[in-house]
Amino acid sequence: MVDINESVMQFLLAFIVVGPLLGAAAALLPAPPGLKGKSPEQAVLRHGVTVTGAVLIAAIVLTLGFDHDQPSKMQATTDISWIPALDVRVHLGTDGISLPLLVLTALLTFLCALYSYFKMPSGPTPKAFVALLLVLESGTLATFAVLDLLLFFLAFEMVLIPMYFLIARWGGEERQAAAWKFILYTLLGSVVMLLGLLLVGLKSGTFDMMALATDNGRSLTTSVQVIAVLAIGIGLAVKTPMWPLHSWLPDAHTAAPTVGSVLLAGVLLKMGTYGFVRILLPITPDGFRTFAPYLAAFAVVGIIYGSLACLALAKQGAKGDLKRLIAYSSVGHMGFVLLGIATMTPTGVNGALFANIAHGLITGLLFFLVGALKDRTGTTDLDTLAEKTGAALYGKAPRLGGLLAFAAVASLGLPGLAGFWGEMLALFGAFDPADDLSRPAFLTFMAIAAFGTLLTAAYMLIVVRRVCMGVAPQNSPGLADIQTYEFAAWTPLVALTVLAGLWPKALLGLTDPAVQQLLAGGTR
Amino acid sequence: MTTTTLAVLVPLLPFLGAAAGLFLGRTAPGFVRPLAVLPSVLSLALAVLVAVRQGGDQAVDAATELTPTGSVPIELALHIDGFAALVAVLVGVVASCVQIYSTGYLRDDPRYPSYAALVSLFTSAMLLVVYSGDLMVLLVGWEIMGICSYFLVGHYWETPEARAASLKAFLVTKLGDVPFLIGLFALAADAGSFRIRTVLGTVASGGLDHPTLIALLLLAGVAGKSAQFPLHTWLPDAMAGPTPVSALIHAATMVAAGVYFIARLLPVFAASSAALLVLAVMAAVTMAGSALAALAQDDIKRVLAYSTIGQLGYMTGALAVGDRGAAVFHLLSHGAFKALLFLAAGVIIHAAGTNSLATMSRMKDLRARVPDAYWTMTVALLALAAIPPFSGFFSKEAVLGAAEHAATGHAEDIPGAAGWIVLVAGLVTALLTAAYAMRLWLLAFRGHGAEAPDHGRQPLAMNAVLWVLAVPSLAFGLTTGLLPDWFDGHDLTPTLATSVLGTGVALVGGIVTYGAWRHTTALAARVPLGAVAAHPEGDAGLVEAEAIASHAPAYGDVASAPDPADPGRLLLGPLHRHAAVGFHLDAVYAALFVRPVQAGATLVRFLDREVVDAYVRGAGALPRLLGAAVRRAQTGNVQTYVSALLAGTVVLAVAALLVATGA
Amino acid sequence: MHLAYPAVLSALLFCTGLYGVLARRNAILVLMSVELMLNAVNLNLVAFDVWLSKTAQDTLHSGQALTLFTIAIAAAEIGIGLAIVLAVYRNRGTSDIDKLRDTAETDDGDDSDDGHDAHESAASTTAEKAEATA
Repeated sequence: MVDINESVMQFLLAFIVVGPLLGAAAALLPAPPGLKGKSPEQAVLRHGVTVTGAVLIAAIVLTLGFDHDQPSKMQATTDISWIPALDVRVHLGTDGISLPLLVLTALLTFLCALYSYFKMPSGPTPKAFVALLLVLESGTLATFAVLDLLLFFLAFEMVLIPMYFLIARWGGEERQAAAWKFILYTLLGSVVMLLGLLLVGLKSGTFDMMALATDNGRSLTTSVQVIAVLAIGIGLAVKTPMWPLHSWLPDAHTAAPTVGSVLLAGVLLKMGTYGFVRILLPITPDGFRTFAPYLAAFAVVGIIYGSLACLALAKQGAKGDLKRLIAYSSVGHMGFVLLGIATMTPTGVNGALFANIAHGLITGLLFFLVGALKDRTGTTDLDTLAEKTGAALYGKAPRLGGLLAFAAVASLGLPGLAGFWGEMLALFGAFDPADDLSRPAFLTFMAIAAFGTLLTAAYMLIVVRRVCMGVAPQNSPGLADIQTYEFAAWTPLVALTVLAGLWPKALLGLTDPAVQQLLAGGTR
Repeated sequence: MTTTTLAVLVPLLPFLGAAAGLFLGRTAPGFVRPLAVLPSVLSLALAVLVAVRQGGDQAVDAATELTPTGSVPIELALHIDGFAALVAVLVGVVASCVQIYSTGYLRDDPRYPSYAALVSLFTSAMLLVVYSGDLMVLLVGWEIMGICSYFLVGHYWETPEARAASLKAFLVTKLGDVPFLIGLFALAADAGSFRIRTVLGTVASGGLDHPTLIALLLLAGVAGKSAQFPLHTWLPDAMAGPTPVSALIHAATMVAAGVYFIARLLPVFAASSAALLVLAVMAAVTMAGSALAALAQDDIKRVLAYSTIGQLGYMTGALAVGDRGAAVFHLLSHGAFKALLFLAAGVIIHAAGTNSLATMSRMKDLRARVPDAYWTMTVALLALAAIPPFSGFFSKEAVLGAAEHAATGHAEDIPGAAGWIVLVAGLVTALLTAAYAMRLWLLAFRGHGAEAPDHGRQPLAMNAVLWVLAVPSLAFGLTTGLLPDWFDGHDLTPTLATSVLGTGVALVGGIVTYGAWRHTTALAARVPLGAVAAHPEGDAGLVEAEAIASHAPAYGDVASAPDPADPGRLLLGPLHRHAAVGFHLDAVYAALFVRPVQAGATLVRFLDREVVDAYVRGAGALPRLLGAAVRRAQTGNVQTYVSALLAGTVVLAVAALLVATGA
Repeated sequence: MHLAYPAVLSALLFCTGLYGVLARRNAILVLMSVELMLNAVNLNLVAFDVWLSKTAQDTLHSGQALTLFTIAIAAAEIGIGLAIVLAVYRNRGTSDIDKLRDTAETDDGDDSDDGHDAHESAASTTAEKAEATA
């Protein structure tokens, strides 16, 4: 698109990763004269918006400078030796697989910072909040940008600590227990993953992902690959989360502040599936092939299980919590992503990557909306909200209600919106899986997963029915409709959801060549 | 402009209108009405132009890649043959009429902007389905229609009927769409493309591996969308939406999309005679069952809904005997007269303040209050009952003729059994159709009792539209000679045998119903009934919402009323009870789908709490248990510690001794 | 004198002391028992020093030096020990070590899922103790 000098691109990518970290350090210092703002709180929140905004701009410029004719090639690469004794290198780069995730992360974090500027969650000092948010951003972006296994692990872990504190300090009820569960569960998964990464690195003699991907598992025996896939896969599956390793997610989402939920669902879960695509598929293909049918089976169970759990929560009198419901819906949606990856076909993996982005946009929006609903009504409990007939949000706050219905419809995978293409391609991939996978098994998985979309539609529309529709009491006070800052924070998500739905090539054009390359034998 | 550009603009204009309407709806209310009406009218004009240019010749084909997928690419393709061109014109006509009608119907409704935008979006999606040459893009339009239907059925979301019906409408059609999607995958995997042209080429060269399976999978989606047995149950309930929506979506266009889809892919279905037989049986059951149910309904719109299901059954019947020309001919004529029936019913509901036929039959002079609706509805009912020379006669005769053609073994590759099934069911349904059309007309316009309320004249926008639609209902039959040029070339003129038979049974049905009505109408005075809207001065939309909401409280049911003066009750006898509730199909669905899913949900809730989470909590419990055990040793008594120390020392010493001595 | 006599004597002394340390309740008697054990060790040190010096060419008599060292330390220790016992007795009115169990693990913070609560309860118990000692 735009021709940008290679060294500038390198700088941009490095800035995206390191910038937020520097910003976090700066947030802890007192504000310099001239930037003090109205109060220290306001100054530091503004600092957060500025830094995330700068990172977002850098990400956009990086996208513009990205050579869209060669999305399968690693671009903006930096490769510096870091720990020579272990041959660990600071190796950064981006291709068509990671670029959309980088932009999504930068965008969502910026929107979260913007939202918190106007609507700071109640809790301790905003200074720590902003610093943690920036550390979180840095860790996530690093996960998507690094090309070294150990560095990947470090970045993967770096995200946990800020998230823990965001939940434990700024969360709602039962935040301590939820935060503990979150960190212990994911740490346990990561330990196993580290062992797998070390195994791969030591057996093949390098931690460099590109070298390993080009090698395509030739220097690893099948048994090593199987063990490595099992270990790494468990770590990634906890993060994704795959059924039955999901039970930390509903608790964490229910307790987390709005911004935390948005980032958790929108960005953090993607790190797990990204790991599947970036590490397991190209580096240990034989081992992955052994486990692919099982992964697909678990994914399908997750789809049905998540939907049924949502239906149980949406039922009248079930005391269902809306945030919890959306968390379970994430389990279902990530099931489609995993199913797509498990097919080991370009179609399926493309679908998985698309569904990743779509889920980030749509579920992020849903969590924003539910957070706004909680601010207005003080509850996310469906029974309390809906009373007898429904909360009549269409009547009390038409725009909010309409937007909630839009998000619900997008989430159920309506064609023409972002949610559809990912699910469709994942199913299409499962219809015709890679050659040495069992076709009948995958056909069964596909059929079951396809009926999962029906269940998804059912619970989403029940939620719309109970929250948006209903008889509004004559003299009930209306709720505040969408405020300007909310409008600003949500519009990009809505616009991108529609855009990705109508013009899927914007994403698939990037991922497809990279995925083809990846499955055929690594990145160049 | 080239035909391609024009064709692209046809679906694009309403889409832009919808987007603009949604954005400007609240900020600039003055623009809402023009933004709703103008794009539809413009796109109608363009659709006519496209149809004229295409002229039934070689199909217009154009494509550009929408997206790569890693295997079969998805293309943004146009495929306009005679069928597509004419159906698009129908969609444009009905959509424009409905948009104009709605400006009067929902004149005071604060939700009009979003309503109009959704109708525009629907129009755009329907036109996309009609023109699309790529199955995946077709599916996009197909599902967007579904969601628009969902939102519009739920327009009166204060009423429990609308809330339930909108959900049901979407889920039942989605139940069909799941196999439909799988069927599309199978087609694309065999053909290597989602393009309809390529798929048809593959079929022609016998490249499909499992044509029966694919056809049946696709049939499920069609049954859902076109409300065919057994997935038709959503359509009668969908009448809880505003009448113009029912006219556009649930009568003229969206429900016809399934029929249109089969017509497009007929070779796929024709490749399997089993699929054709299934299609024929489905059509027969749908036709006869829905006509019986229509005879027992009390809500005027539900009568029309069941009649729509039955007429769609005729179309699928025509497809089952392999004559898509007849199917699309009936689709076009039915689209016009059924839209007219619904719009006229909307006027009547507004004037009478109720949607109940039982209540209308106790009102004198309703026809004098709404003369335009009275005359146009009479025309449309005659067309529905297939009385010559109205349009319905010609199209229905085309269907029956095709069935007779197949039954007598003149059609190649079509099982004769399919022809007989469709022919017999079609004749039975013709009888029943005339009967319920007669019943509706008698109950609505020949009532006795109190004077009908007078609200002055209906808005011009509403009345004018009725007369516009009355023209094709009257005169569409004249095109019988021209249409084959646009279609496959099959002759569509009525044959003598079926015409005499069909018209004969229709007359019998009408006369018998008239006799029954004469017999029962005397009872009407004895049983007073009546539930009318609370705000008769409101706009038609408000009156209708109140009429819908008050039906169940007043009569105990949304579908029927305990009215002994109803001729349908006499005609159906013991069947009436079952026909009124649609032959208990909802109960079957509840037992087959709803309850198992609910049980599954409860099970998952239990599993998640007690099994999956139990392991997680259990993993935390083990370290805690160990910790507790270690803490027990901390007694606070120094002497205990020293004793333990001593014991340890002794053990270690003994061990060291044993090791040292090598024992 | 044969080495066995002082060795047996010191073993007896040590065991008496050990029994005292483990079994006596009074803190003063426990301290006295500790002295007995120390003296048993001293006796051993002296005896073995003498026994080993017999064969050695020249010796530093480190055993005896260490004994002196131990005596000095024991003196200091008993001083401080008695002072503590005295202070405890003044505060609590008892020197029975069975009743001085403040370091025992109780079930107070057992449900310490929640870091906060555990800290708070621990803080409150120490506050109570501080009050008690004052």
